[in-house]
Amino acid sequence: MTNIVRTAIAFFVAFVFQITIFPAVLADPFKPNLLLVAVVWIGLTVSSLWGAALVYLFGLIQDTVSGLYLGLNGISYLITFIVLHNIAHRLYADSRYLMTLSVFITTLACGITQLILLALFSSAGGIIGTLLYSLIPQGLVNALAASLCFSLIGKQDKEELG
Amino acid sequence: MWELIKKYRKGFIIGLVLLAAFLVFASNLKNREDANIFERGLLTMFSPLFSLGAKVSAGAETLWNDYSALVNVRKQNRELLEQLRLMNGRLIGEQDALLENERLKKLLTLKGTVPIPAVAASIIGEDGAPWFKTMLIDRGGNDGFQEGMPVVASDGVVGQLIKVSGNSSRVLLITDHSSGIAAVVQRSRARGVVRGAGSGRLVLEFAIREEDVKVGDQVVTSGIGGIFPKGLPIGEVTMVKKGEYGIFQTIEVRPSVMISRLEEVLVLLKRRND
Repeated sequence: MTNIVRTAIAFFVAFVFQITIFPAVLADPFKPNLLLVAVVWIGLTVSSLWGAALVYLFGLIQDTVSGLYLGLNGISYLITFIVLHNIAHRLYADSRYLMTLSVFITTLACGITQLILLALFSSAGGIIGTLLYSLIPQGLVNALAASLCFSLIGKQDKEELG
Repeated sequence: MWELIKKYRKGFIIGLVLLAAFLVFASNLKNREDANIFERGLLTMFSPLFSLGAKVSAGAETLWNDYSALVNVRKQNRELLEQLRLMNGRLIGEQDALLENERLKKLLTLKGTVPIPAVAASIIGEDGAPWFKTMLIDRGGNDGFQEGMPVVASDGVVGQLIKVSGNSSRVLLITDHSSGIAAVVQRSRARGVVRGAGSGRLVLEFAIREEDVKVGDQVVTSGIGGIFPKGLPIGEVTMVKKGEYGIFQTIEVRPSVMISRLEEVLVLLKRRND
């Protein structure tokens, strides 16, 4: 129960940071997407299908404050979760480095998924250039944020065990 | 059939889940500018948190500025002494207050010149994704806001309202790729549509090749479309390219509003075709 409360608080803090504090101090495209980091962590560590519902909810929450299309992040996070969920048992998911690499790759994959959906269903054709230009820096920043988050989680786990 | 479904159960479930997610996305494509009950609820729930976050952010910024000031104190001290001598006792500490005063005065003047009732709002958040350009403001439906209302600053057009909830709303900035405003070049009256081009740039589309457009020309709203009042500044022409062929010319426009430095905006309480 404590873990759930702690995770929920961490999520809310990350979300508020992402919307209010990062844009004030960091320039585009160097604002990390902490929700995506959370999605990767859930995809690699949570085995139940509740994880799918949770990441889809994360996506919908992000859609309410980002972009125009409700469900765009939802669907891309859900696809990410399904892919990670299916390969997690073949990976050494406890490795911080693997998680960080997964975040980088997932950022690119999510961006490309969104690009395909936007190209197919929206009228904002010019977004392709901006999205492709921002994708690599965004992936690197997310990976950096992920390495910090995962090292904090690892440190906490060690303290609890010790 | 049932055996087949049983055999490929996992695949079917994944397919159904993805289909459901896709249906949610698809059902929102048509009314993408209107907030539905889910979005309104979440925005209402999160807006106090965002306000709090904005305050923390402002505090952190002050702290960071103070820290930078400390780090560079020796250098700054020399510079301040120099400035003090040059400006003959002008108080530097008052500059910030003066600037703020000026900014708010400009906003008030604008409010007086536009013949439409307007409400001021503060920016409390920004879009997390670098490829979308939206902002969150601290007022919403309770102040009479509706989707589609124009948002302006003292220097010109900022964007228009989308996804309005009770106490907060989102602004689709003119620099977003989905944004489009009917515009006219002030000097030659050449018409076109200003669209966001990413990275804070704008382009004036559909301006016919023969039209007279030069670098430095001011681009203002044309009033066509019924959303923005006529004559509001949008930006300044920074590049004009005419190819050998084609009907239109390529025109790049720099927004007149420094969107990254915006703190307050005015929402014009104007419904479409008012």
